[in-house]
Order: sequence, then C-alpha cells, then structure tokens
Amino acid sequence: MMRRQLSGAVAALVLVALLGLALTAPAHLSDANRDLAFAGPGAVPPFGGDQLGRPLLQYAQQGASVVVGPAIGAAAFVALLSIAGGLLRCVGDQRVDAAIQALGEVLGALPRMVVILVAAMLIPSGSRGLLPLALLWALLAAPGAADEAAAVAERLGGARFVEALRAHGFSWSRVFLYHIVLLNLRPVVVRQASEVLLQVTFLELGLSYLAVQDNQSSFTHSDSLKSWADLLYMGYTSIGLGMPTGHALVLGLGLVAMVTLMAKMTTSMAKAR
Amino acid sequence: MAAWWIRPGVRLLAALSLPVLVPGIITALIWALPGDPAEIICPPATCGGTAELAARWNLDAGPWSFYSEWVSSAFNGEFGRSWRVEQGLPVADLLWESTPVTVTLVLLALVPILLGAVGAATGLIPAKADGVFSAVGLVPALVFALLGSAMIVVRFGAGAFGDEAMTWRLLIGAAVLGISDGAFASAVSGVRGLFQSERNQRYVSIAILRGEAPLANMLPNVAPALVGQMRARVLHLLSGAVVVEVVLGLTGVGDLLWAGTLLQDFGVVLAAATAFATLSALLLVVQAIVEIVTAMHVLRAPTVPAAVVVA
Repeated sequence: MMRRQLSGAVAALVLVALLGLALTAPAHLSDANRDLAFAGPGAVPPFGGDQLGRPLLQYAQQGASVVVGPAIGAAAFVALLSIAGGLLRCVGDQRVDAAIQALGEVLGALPRMVVILVAAMLIPSGSRGLLPLALLWALLAAPGAADEAAAVAERLGGARFVEALRAHGFSWSRVFLYHIVLLNLRPVVVRQASEVLLQVTFLELGLSYLAVQDNQSSFTHSDSLKSWADLLYMGYTSIGLGMPTGHALVLGLGLVAMVTLMAKMTTSMAKAR
Repeated sequence: MAAWWIRPGVRLLAALSLPVLVPGIITALIWALPGDPAEIICPPATCGGTAELAARWNLDAGPWSFYSEWVSSAFNGEFGRSWRVEQGLPVADLLWESTPVTVTLVLLALVPILLGAVGAATGLIPAKADGVFSAVGLVPALVFALLGSAMIVVRFGAGAFGDEAMTWRLLIGAAVLGISDGAFASAVSGVRGLFQSERNQRYVSIAILRGEAPLANMLPNVAPALVGQMRARVLHLLSGAVVVEVVLGLTGVGDLLWAGTLLQDFGVVLAAATAFATLSALLLVVQAIVEIVTAMHVLRAPTVPAAVVVA
C-alpha cells in the first residue's frame, strides 16, 4: 500500500512540475545575449544558456508546452478505447469480437511511424501540431490495448461475470464501471495509457530531432517554439563536435527521464493488488 | 474450436486488402488537400508547365484514374516517379537502392530479439533479469541513436561516412533497434509469459510424467501466439528504423520515407508506404498459415474418448 502511495506521489509531483513548465512557457525565446553564449548553470541559472546566451529553461518550458497536452490527450484517448475493448468482450458477441479483430488487424498491421509520417505530410502546414499525430498514434495503439483489456475481461468470465453480478442485484453502471473497469481493468488501462504518454513524448522528440538535424520546420510545433529535441541536438554537438553544450544534453536527458519516471510510477501506482 | 477459421480468415482478408487500401487512402487524402496535386509540386506562380506535368504524371484525370493506373503499374514493379526527392527518377530504383540497408538493419536487430526469445523459452535467461532489460528498454531509440552517431563522429572524424564507418553505423543501428524502446525486454517477457502460462496446462504435466521434453510438447500449441508476437516485433523494428536510419545517416527505406515526407514527395511516400504495407501483409499471411496449420493439426488429433479407448 505504501509503495503504491509513494509511486502515486512521485507521479503526481512530476506531473505538476511538467504542467508548471508548460503553463509558464514564454511565447518566444528571450533576446540574444552573446556575452552569455554557452554559459553554464552558474552564469544563466538554473540550466545554463544556448549559443546565443538564451536560458535553456525557456527551451524546457516551451518543450513541455508542446508535449504535455497532446501526450495526456493521447493517453486519455487510448484509455477510453481500451475500456471500450474490455467492456465489449463482456457483451460476449462473437460478431463484435470478429469486427474488432478485423479493425485491429488493419490498424495494427502497419508500422506506426510510417502512418505518422504519411499523416504528417498530409496535414497542411498551417494546421501542424502534435495533437493530431498524438491522437493518431493512440488510435494505432488502441487495438493492442483493447485486446489486452478484452483478455482481462475474458479471464473474469466475460458475459457470465456480468450475469453473476447482476444476479446479486448490482446495477449495470456499478457492474461495468466499478467491478469491471475500476477493480479489474484499471491496471491494464493505466499501463497502456502511461505507455502511450511515453511513446507520444518520444515521438515528438524523434520527429523534432529529425527536423532539427535537417534544418527544417518540425511537424509538431511552430517555428517560434523549441522542443526538448533542440536540447538533445545541442547536447549531441558537445559529444560529436566538442561544443561546450554538455549542460544542454544533461537537461534534455533529465526531461526525458522525468517523463519516463512519471509513466513508470503511474503504472506502478495502478498495479493490481 | 468451431470458429477456428475466423482469426486466420480475418488476417488473410486484412493481408489482401492492405496493399490496395494503403495507396487508396493516401491517394484520396492527396486529392483532399487544398489545391490541385500538380499545383502542389509545380505552383503555377513560380513554375511553368503545370498542365503538361499533370498530364505526364497522370494527375489530370482525377484520383480514381491516378490510383488505378498506379496500382496496376505497381503490380508490374513500376512505382511511378519521384516528385521532389530525386525529381523524375523512378521510385522503384530509389526503393531498390535503399531496401538492402533496411533489410540488413532489421535482420541484424532481430538477432538479439530472437536470442532473447529462445533464452526465455528455454529458461536460460532468468526472470530476475527482466527488471534490468526493462530499465534499459525504457531508453528511447533516439537517445541511443544520437549517442551512437556521436561515437561514430568522434571515432572516425572526417571519415565518418567511409565504408568502415558505415558498417559501424549499421551495427550500432541494429543494436539500438534491438534493445531500445523495450524491443528486447518485450520479446523476453512476452515469450516467457507465453510459455509459463502454457506450462500450467495438464498436458504438459502429463508429458513430463511420460519423460518427454515439455518444450517440444508446448511448441505446436504456442506457435500461433509466438508468430503473432514476432510479427509485432518486426513491425516495431520497421517503425523504429525510420528514426535510427535518419539519425545514423543510413540510406534505407526509412530515410527515403523521411526525405519524401519533408519534401512532400507524394510519389516516394506512396511507394514507400505501400512497400511497408505489402511487407506487413506478408507477415499477416505467415501468421494466418501457422494458425491454420495448428488448427488442422488439432482437428486431426484423436478425441479424448477415442484416446481413452486406445489406451
């Protein structure tokens, strides 16, 4: 119980920190100050500066504002679809199962990154953003999530489990929402949602990094915003080209670690007793 | 067992539809974009001859004409021409050049995954190690790939794109793909979970009592699920290959697809996405065949009363 509470507290703390970063993100980076170029955390607190002396804190804030909302939205979306998969299995209709499987086969049969790139290309440049790509990613992840939730529902007994609880006099809403979703599907649903949250964060990092590397606009945010991928790219130059930007790499990896920690702690918090 | 054919049937249907569905959806979406496709490649304000270009690339007769022409050509190995990445060059040539890199990368990345799966099935990899694999698997492919790329630059300097460096890039890319994003950890835990739940079946206990090897008894029964897991792993690797190829400078299909996406080269993206869809369809067919063979094997087995009579 203590471990579960501790995990929940850590996840909540990290989420609050990320939301805090996102909500305080400036619309534009501050003006250049070349005297502070590549300054360390001592000269430009708390994380140091970039090649133009601008604080890396602003990169962290803007990156959080790009990723936090869509990642949480995608996690919620996949959680809903996963719950729907579990509940539909409790209905016990073979035709519904076959239809879900057919949809899952088609959606799950393509490498997700390929679908994302095709979608990214087709989204008009004026409407670009992470949210549509994040929701698409969640949709592609949904068949697996729904299948796992359905397997849990099947282990419970599916339609027979529902019948048994109804025979005890429980209402439909109590049977489905409390007994099935909250007590039994919760660990799977929360884990799947956490995984998608993490994957969407990594997707944003990946797409933005590739765009930064090719000196192109990102598919996930406007040119006025910086992503955490910019920090990683800046940090990469410290290893590959010997630039004094090691502090950017530490910050970039630290932010990735924070999101990973939040996802793992959330999963751990919701584990079955 | 009565409806054993539903799952493989659905998979075969999905496999048949994917290679025609994917280009169909992309074509429909291209025409759904604001503006004419020919004007997207060659805006009349800055580029003369838009109408001639549209006629030459079959863009002037609407989406159905373009789609049907493209699909019938694709069945003959013709994937049209690149619109922007290598303007005018046959996409089939670009795919032909880049496919070996991606195939090698994915096959090399499959090596640790297969070893992990075998280790988990035979019990050579202890369950205690799962925590370590899981922790390593949390690192995204991007982070490992950019560290690998930095290592190559530091190690080879000006020769970072020479033959030896490219071999190292391929090996590092395969290691990154095979380990990061939970690829190895999922393979090990997935296969272990599968065999552990099967080991609880009565027939396995009976096989052990008869002095038979449990693995040989379990393998036919877990084969469909095992193939399904491996199909998912291959798709995962193909998905991750895009990031790894671009970051490590490997000129594979993923790199080509990324270039096509950046430059809005519909010709390249259409062909690359269809190639991925066809590969995925083949994997679906393999899984369906394994499921059918297993089901046939089970159907041919003697029923319990008959077996009791024989005994």
